[in-house]
Amino acid sequence: MKIEVSLKPGHSDPEGETTARLLKELGYKVERVGVSKVYSLSLEAESLEGVAAEAEEMCKRLLANPTKDNYAIVVEEEK
Amino acid sequence: MEANLEQRGLAMKREEINVCVLRVGGTNCDAETKRAFDELGVQAEVVHVNEMVKRRSLLEYNALVFPGGFSYGDYVRAGAIWAKWILAKLGKELKAFVYENRPVLGICNGFQVLVEAGLLPGFEGISPYPEAALATNFPPGYNCRWVYIKHENDVKCVFTRKIPKGKVLRMPVAHSEGRLIFAKEKEKQYLKRLYENDQLVFRYCKKNGVYAEGRFPTNPNGSFHDIVGVCNREGTIFGLMPHPERAFYWWQQPDWTRRARMPQYGDGKLIFESLIEYLVKKF
Amino acid sequence: MTRRLYINRRTPFPLFEIDVLAATDKQLLKISREMGIGLNLQEIRAVQEYFRKRRRNPTDVELQTIGQTWSEHCFHKTFKGKIKFDGKEIDSLFKTYISKATEEINPRWCFSVFEDNAGIINFDKDYGIAIKVETHNHPSAIEPFGGAATGTGGVIRDILGVWADPIACTDVLGFGPLDYDYEKLPPGIKHPKYVYMGVVAGIGSYGNNMGIPTVNGAIYFDESYVGNVVVYCGCIGLLPLKKFRRNAKPGDIVVLAGGKTGRDGIHGVTFASAELTEKSEEISRPAVQIANPIEEEKLKRAIIEVRDSELASAITDLGGGGLSSAVGETAKRFDCGAVVELEKVPLKYPGLAPWEIYVSESQERMLLAVPQISLKRVLEIFEKEDVEATAIGKYTVDKVLRIHHRGEKVAELDIPFLFEPPKSVRTAEYKPANLEEPRFAEPENLTKTLLELLASLNIASKESVIRTYDHEVKGNTVLKPLQGEYGGPNDAAIIKPLKNSWKGIAVSCGMNPNYGKIDAYWMAASAIDEAIRNNVAVGGRRIALLDNFTWGNPEKPERLGSLVNACGACYDFATAFGTPFVSGKDSLYNESPLGPLTPTLLITALGVVPDIRSAVSMDVKAPNDSIYIVGQTFHELGGSEYYKLKGFLGSTVPKVRPKQARKTFETVTKAIDSGLVKACHDLSEGGLAIAAAEMAFAGGYGVKLNLREVPRKALNRNDFVLFAESNSCFFVEVLEKAREDFEALMKGNVYAEVGRVTKTPRLCIYGLEGDVVVDASLSDLLASWKRTLSSGV
Repeated sequence: MKIEVSLKPGHSDPEGETTARLLKELGYKVERVGVSKVYSLSLEAESLEGVAAEAEEMCKRLLANPTKDNYAIVVEEEK
Repeated sequence: MEANLEQRGLAMKREEINVCVLRVGGTNCDAETKRAFDELGVQAEVVHVNEMVKRRSLLEYNALVFPGGFSYGDYVRAGAIWAKWILAKLGKELKAFVYENRPVLGICNGFQVLVEAGLLPGFEGISPYPEAALATNFPPGYNCRWVYIKHENDVKCVFTRKIPKGKVLRMPVAHSEGRLIFAKEKEKQYLKRLYENDQLVFRYCKKNGVYAEGRFPTNPNGSFHDIVGVCNREGTIFGLMPHPERAFYWWQQPDWTRRARMPQYGDGKLIFESLIEYLVKKF
Repeated sequence: MTRRLYINRRTPFPLFEIDVLAATDKQLLKISREMGIGLNLQEIRAVQEYFRKRRRNPTDVELQTIGQTWSEHCFHKTFKGKIKFDGKEIDSLFKTYISKATEEINPRWCFSVFEDNAGIINFDKDYGIAIKVETHNHPSAIEPFGGAATGTGGVIRDILGVWADPIACTDVLGFGPLDYDYEKLPPGIKHPKYVYMGVVAGIGSYGNNMGIPTVNGAIYFDESYVGNVVVYCGCIGLLPLKKFRRNAKPGDIVVLAGGKTGRDGIHGVTFASAELTEKSEEISRPAVQIANPIEEEKLKRAIIEVRDSELASAITDLGGGGLSSAVGETAKRFDCGAVVELEKVPLKYPGLAPWEIYVSESQERMLLAVPQISLKRVLEIFEKEDVEATAIGKYTVDKVLRIHHRGEKVAELDIPFLFEPPKSVRTAEYKPANLEEPRFAEPENLTKTLLELLASLNIASKESVIRTYDHEVKGNTVLKPLQGEYGGPNDAAIIKPLKNSWKGIAVSCGMNPNYGKIDAYWMAASAIDEAIRNNVAVGGRRIALLDNFTWGNPEKPERLGSLVNACGACYDFATAFGTPFVSGKDSLYNESPLGPLTPTLLITALGVVPDIRSAVSMDVKAPNDSIYIVGQTFHELGGSEYYKLKGFLGSTVPKVRPKQARKTFETVTKAIDSGLVKACHDLSEGGLAIAAAEMAFAGGYGVKLNLREVPRKALNRNDFVLFAESNSCFFVEVLEKAREDFEALMKGNVYAEVGRVTKTPRLCIYGLEGDVVVDASLSDLLASWKRTLSSGV
């Protein structure tokens, strides 16, 4: 599964802003850059719902800080 | 204040105090943190977390310090992994430590750990999820410089009792993730609580005491309300981004060559002294 | 049909035999090229001869090992070989010019020079200070962040490799101009801005993560650095002398500690020993190592504990050539052989061929020699710190290197053969550059010129970079890179490494590649003078030097000629100043499709400050204090920043007059020790005008100077006096009441009182005719100085 952790709107994103600025300097007409972290996980589970619930917990317990982070979970079955 | 001195007993001697300076892979300020205690005649032990897990002896210490560094390489978020690891492996002992109001100090990375572990801002004990974050600096980038900070605390914080309220201190910061923020929708409410509970400890200011008001480099990281450090409601857990152990001696100051008469020690010493005096009086 | 050169040995893992016995010269070169081992014909013929005697063909493991060991980077063939120059034959540049200087000076305070991973000098009766400066140019040109980070990691390991605890880092960097035209960039070459950002970030990430303060350095810009970045990484360590162990014996176990081994960094040294081409990124990106500073931090803790427990008999780091260098060099060092079992090496992923395991340059690894009896305890110490450590072999009595993999012998080489490549014989040529002094009128507005100079890249404030490096960690930095409130540039950094001692170490550097465009000999001389005077200015003395050469292709005679001359200056001036070389390194083949980089010699100086309480910083301290200049200014503007600003190079490169210079240094040190010096700053890029401006805005007080008082020769123009870059000169601030004592001390030296510190925050300079030629506010000076690199790109 993939978990994407990104900044909640309203919080400044210094990394994103710096990246946007440099891309503009290189000549690209970039308006905004947002930086997020993507975790790719493989795990064993009995059901897809169970996995989604576990992923939620992982985000709350470690991967995201609810003060500033949003997270999006995409679960896929590995062949 | 009386609530902290519940356990009245005989006064404790300095030599009897035992401070634990915890470290893990990536911690790198432990030696000079221990040195500060050594200099004040207090025993401090640098203990690797693996060792602590083996011994299970956290409650043998009178105070706990999380020093600066790059625990776990700052992966995921600075301080996050160490914080969650501690809660998982030493959670019981740590909770007991906190509920007995034994002092806990977090410096720089240590502050990040305390926030991620839910020990700070500590409005109501240990929160299950972080109620604040120490985010990427604004303007971005690692920043190493000396800053002025104003003491905002009335009486609560046991680490600053020797510092008069309103006094301006000087210490160095060196970090890239030190911007204190609250959830947007909770900002006002939390700030109010910090003031009401006397939990605000330091704010970035100019040499003359005028607050930074977000202006760089007086406020080196864009921290909300120029907040440098906060304590929990009981005043026994304190975290700050600057390094008091690097402002301990006069010769560590950035401009000592200019001064005809140097005070013997730097401002950082006051933090350690306040803690020690509290411990001596408490027991 | 072409005969097969590579014979598959049909082992359960990849292993090849290479048919060199029957190969023609053409085929030998083909083998060298295809295997990436970088041997020339003379060398691979020597290999052929060796195996002919043994009546067998070599394996790929053997050839790769030889390739690494005989590479320029590992063996320093140019510095050790023969050079035909000017009708003479020089046998070993290193022996003739570098180590010879140290031998002649014969200092009693050097614990170990040129023998180990780093130089070690005595500090106090119990401790020594180790120092090493490395180059990491080639990898940084391809992958700026990774190259710079691993460069820092590597030099830190060199310090661990002499059992020292790293206490400070330095970094000296060279980039192309940041505003270089994108259109002019050839394919495969990265823009200087990109390289700059990556390298600066890479250095910071490693030093900061490991908690070692980065306290001294420099950043230099030159057009020839486009496509050829310069990355010097230095490290200083503290060593309790009693714990130094260097006595491995046959029977001792070979222990590999640290990170796992993978394919990263393979052929790092052969890559570093070749020019960069358009294809370099494709071919060589795998050759850039990947950094993990946290791993090295844990490794460091374990090694210091092993040291303090006195459990190991020798240590070395795995750098260029990986295991192949570390094992081989250790065996040679202690006159033994070694047997290695490659299957014991912890791997990042399966499937590596034995040659890959043996020459991999994966980072954060060290090699220890441990007596059998201590092995268990050593492994326990590593485990405690979460560091992997494995016994992978043993040192043996015979002088043979034997490598096994999964029970199969994959290499067997005589150590003496391995360390005796055919001596390289090269030719050097030198044709003095045909240069002229420019002719132009003195500018009307010298204040404007000064402001422009302050903003020029090589003078402008590097604060935006310096502040990204933690220079306070460990809490031992007495004199910081940036002084006080306004961040003026201190000449040297001072560290107080011992808790119960006021003794300190001062570290400084000297480098001016622009002078090298006129005359490499005087460039080297000036670099030595600059490193020393920077050290003297803060109170340093008993100075040791390090030489770090970054040059083009030594097989091209003109490049080699300037190198020989620079070495000559190293000998001449190190002996003249009594400052021995204790370590050094060379990085050659720095050429890109745009051409070679300009010869660049970095001199690092390590001095002792007997009592840090007497240390001196460069900022002016109080109004009404007198300002003296010590040393003479000559008509030496060739290669100056002023000429560069005007678009010229010139020919009158600054020289070094060693007798006077040495006297000046010794007298300034005496003055500092007598408490007479309140501030001191050396004159360098931009001459006295820049030095005065820096002292003034750093201190927040004005300075008034009178050019008529400046001791000078053949200088009769204001701009020349202001901006000439003569060596061995200082500004000294002296309390008004102390002038008499100061002047008494200065007797016999060239010096003069040239001005005063003023309360008015302005720099005011009176010209040769008595009129004001420079008048600027401190805030304007500071703004100009800080503006250029302020946005941090």
